[in-house]
Amino acid sequence: MTAGAWLCLLAPLCGALLITALGESISRRTAAWISTLSVFAAFAGALIAFVDMLGRGHEEREAVTTAWTWLAAGEFHAGLSLLVDPLSVTMMLIVSGVGGLIVLYSIGYMDGDPEERRYFAYMSLFVFSMLMLVEAGNFLLLLVGWGLVGLASYLLIGFWHERPSAVAAAKKAFVMNAFGDAAMALAFFVLIWQTGTLDFAAAFEGAGGLSQTFVDLVALGLLAGAVAKSAQIPLHTWLPDAMEGPTPVSALIHAATMVTAGVYLIVRAHPIFELAPSIADLAAGLGAITLLVAGVIALVQTDIKRVIAYSTMSQIGYMFLGAGLGAYGNGMFHLMTHAFFKALLFMAAGLVIHHLANEQDIRRMGGLRQAMPRTYIAFLIGSLALVGIPPLSGFFSKDSILASALASGGYGRLLFAAGLAGALLTGLYTFRLLFIVFLGEPSALVREHDHGSAHGEGPWTMTVPVAVLTVLAVVGGWVQVAGIWHPFGEWLDPIAVGREHLALVEPTVTQDYVTSVLAVGLGAVGIAVAWMIYGSRKWSVPRVPSVQRTLEHKLWFDELYDAVFYNPGERISGLLRRGVEEPLIGGSIEGVTLGAREAAGALGEAQTGYLRTYALAIAAAVAVLVVVFITVQ
Amino acid sequence: MRGPDVSWYLIVSAILFSIGAAGVLLRRSPLIVLLSLEIMLNSANLALISFARLHGNHDGQIFALAVMAVAASEVVVGLGLIVAIARKHLDLDVDRLRVLRG
Repeated sequence: MTAGAWLCLLAPLCGALLITALGESISRRTAAWISTLSVFAAFAGALIAFVDMLGRGHEEREAVTTAWTWLAAGEFHAGLSLLVDPLSVTMMLIVSGVGGLIVLYSIGYMDGDPEERRYFAYMSLFVFSMLMLVEAGNFLLLLVGWGLVGLASYLLIGFWHERPSAVAAAKKAFVMNAFGDAAMALAFFVLIWQTGTLDFAAAFEGAGGLSQTFVDLVALGLLAGAVAKSAQIPLHTWLPDAMEGPTPVSALIHAATMVTAGVYLIVRAHPIFELAPSIADLAAGLGAITLLVAGVIALVQTDIKRVIAYSTMSQIGYMFLGAGLGAYGNGMFHLMTHAFFKALLFMAAGLVIHHLANEQDIRRMGGLRQAMPRTYIAFLIGSLALVGIPPLSGFFSKDSILASALASGGYGRLLFAAGLAGALLTGLYTFRLLFIVFLGEPSALVREHDHGSAHGEGPWTMTVPVAVLTVLAVVGGWVQVAGIWHPFGEWLDPIAVGREHLALVEPTVTQDYVTSVLAVGLGAVGIAVAWMIYGSRKWSVPRVPSVQRTLEHKLWFDELYDAVFYNPGERISGLLRRGVEEPLIGGSIEGVTLGAREAAGALGEAQTGYLRTYALAIAAAVAVLVVVFITVQ
Repeated sequence: MRGPDVSWYLIVSAILFSIGAAGVLLRRSPLIVLLSLEIMLNSANLALISFARLHGNHDGQIFALAVMAVAASEVVVGLGLIVAIARKHLDLDVDRLRVLRG
């Protein structure tokens, strides 16, 4: 079991190092295959661990394996240790499985890019970092993985570094993530200070004896890290900009894996969140706000990838909602199905973008159904799964979260209402996108790129992963049907170290069915409205200029942050430059150079160029030395 | 020990050294300056050898041989420079060769 985990962790790292070390001595295609195979090797490792774990009883499914003591300071020890339990194995399977498909897809998508080798080395590095995050056996290693995925995300968003907008987006993502990382590190410092350990089991046990203030502080720090990484309000503005990266990167990092790390963190650290119920409620509330805000903003976006990015934020909002309310199994279930259908949507969008020579503006698209029928079907299935239409995967997972919200009392009902409104929005924005891009008359741009079906809708490396994910998006939800069978929930039970029960809330069967009817109904209403406006065009698009402007500016979040943080910061640094840097530091350095120059000039006067002067100077010096020696004796 | 006392040798050496130093300081032809330098070196040799005789060992003599070798090399370089200057039809006057002034 642990051997599989180590294979899973190290294979992508070897892939990244190999590509880096071999450099230009291998072809770009070889580098791509090294990367793909390394990620699939990781998937094999995860499978080994999974199969091994299935054969064991519930009590024996947890193993910690330590390679060596990585860090020791006084009483504090942190080992390079992996924790293999059902939760981490689930994440390993998702990360390496979906990751492998996406890296395979990249072979076709990135074909011909002059810096393909760098891309694939980064991709392997990302998968390694993400596996490090989910396999970490203590909070310190988790933070290492947390930081590394941030780095890989930065490198890949800014992969096309000749575009200034990509570089700016990469920096933005890095800075906002660094904010979350710092908050998390502070939470860990409090843990070390108060409990003396960062090992999961020991830290959770120690957290039980802490005062409420400290527990709240720790939970708040963890939540800040989760919010930054998962692009939840108020640290969400980096995710839409991150769409500057290549599309497979958006699919892997900004949809399927990295952005869901926040959910994983909450589930992994759930004993702490249970000790701090107010912070857990805050997490659920932030999730609810995000799912609404992102859903509304997605309605007016015109970039195909940005619409999907806002949809990702919105769906992660659902996961936060579930995890914050204690429905960990359901949150993780939605994480898994979301990884399938959101990666599918991104990759289908990537096929469209690839087909249209990198055009991403949906206003220039339309009527792609004739040119790309199979992509249309994949996109349709992904969209239906996203909206939660039965029997596709999103239906089972989203409804289970909403049912848990309904079951958890007054505050939960409020969140339940928000979630239902989100379901309506999801139907609306998803099918707005689908109808605009695929239905109607082919636009000028589409006709221009219609090269017949000479080479299909893309190379096989791109279409095969899309096909596999289409199947997964359909069947992925069948592992858990609310009220009937819960193999996924039972598999995750006990959800994390040292817990006996799975979820804090358990909806009744009635609640399950009420939720399903309402959510599916609202989703269908959303689809119907989208059809009337964008499909059949019987209704005109409602236009309220002020609302539209507000939404197009994404509720002025960027402007607000500029006004509150960026501009004052710039003003202060300008003042410091004019008041401190230039007169004091610059002035003193200038004084030193000027003094040195003048001294050198004066000394230069002594060098007359006359041989006799030098000879006389030597003779005089010798005479002085002689006099000195004689008088000293 | 026969012959004059060692102090006589040292007096001759001092006189030679002064003559050489004066030549280096006062003359303007580079050739003469080189010659004066040789005189200074040889006065030092004389002093070394007389001390060697005073102490009854050969250290000073060996040192004098080394000084001769250095002097020979120095003359080669110096004369080479002078020939080069003459070939360029420059004035053979140390006061005019002052491009290295600060």
